[in-house]
Amino acid sequence: MTSRSTITQDRVLDLIGAYGSDPESWPEDEREAARALLREDPARFEAALAEARLLDEALLRAPVPDTPAGLAERILADAPRAQSARTGLRALAARFGDFVFPNGARWPAGATLAALVMGMSAGLVTVPANASEDYDSAEEQVLYAALGFDSFDTYGQEGAE
Amino acid sequence: MAQAALVNRHMPVVWRVAFRMLKDRQEAEDVTQETFLRAWKMLPDWQDRAKFSTWACTVALNLSRDRLRKKRPVLMDELPEQADHGPRPDQALDQKQAGGRITALVDNLPERQKEALTLCAFEGMTNIEAAAAMDISVDALESLLARARRKLREQLEEDSKA
Repeated sequence: MTSRSTITQDRVLDLIGAYGSDPESWPEDEREAARALLREDPARFEAALAEARLLDEALLRAPVPDTPAGLAERILADAPRAQSARTGLRALAARFGDFVFPNGARWPAGATLAALVMGMSAGLVTVPANASEDYDSAEEQVLYAALGFDSFDTYGQEGAE
Repeated sequence: MAQAALVNRHMPVVWRVAFRMLKDRQEAEDVTQETFLRAWKMLPDWQDRAKFSTWACTVALNLSRDRLRKKRPVLMDELPEQADHGPRPDQALDQKQAGGRITALVDNLPERQKEALTLCAFEGMTNIEAAAAMDISVDALESLLARARRKLREQLEEDSKA
């Protein structure tokens, strides 16, 4: 993302008005320039920040609704059957083997591959039940890859079979 | 297993977004299930056109809007801000707990402002993600957020005066 090097004081007030008092909530491409203006003239923004902070604190007090028990299971009951993890890992191993050892894997290369597969499996089973609320991440792509899917695309194709 | 990971990761956000819009646990559950049903159907044709989280929130918002319109067959976007049907600020004032009060005030916002605030303030989406989920420009999102926050600030001020 490109970063805007200069913004106006009025724009900083707009950011506070729309996104609140925490610069981490502001658009990434304007954040640093806005912070620089805050440091230059803190008195200019003091009132706006204080007003926004009050609302931010009020919003934080809003209760987070709890997800219904068993909803995940009910959703998964409607999901198409995907290939088993065992099959997926075997496919993954074959894929890695073909890529890393095009002429055939032999010990200790086989052990290295096995360790890699086991490590990824361990990573899978330790995925938290309620994962972080970050949005799609590199870990998520690793997860799909570890299951034998290159992406959602192949995941969907194979899951539909 | 990938499906379980997908559901565990994204379902809570989808459900909370639907619940904050509909204020009905069963309806929010229905919307969440429908969102994932659509996901299972479309995954074979997924073209990496959007992050799953953004796509899922878009679907959940659209389904929630459909249900709201069936309840109130009026286009909310065309309504003036003061014509909402939620509790009045004075009713919100009666609520003893601060969390309940701010929830009531947010519920009282016009639909699109509530969507914007839900995605950004409650679910922590970036402006770009939230705008994509709502299928609007970043400028439009920012305008909705600013109006929502201004209205909430005014109502909190009224609360404190009262």
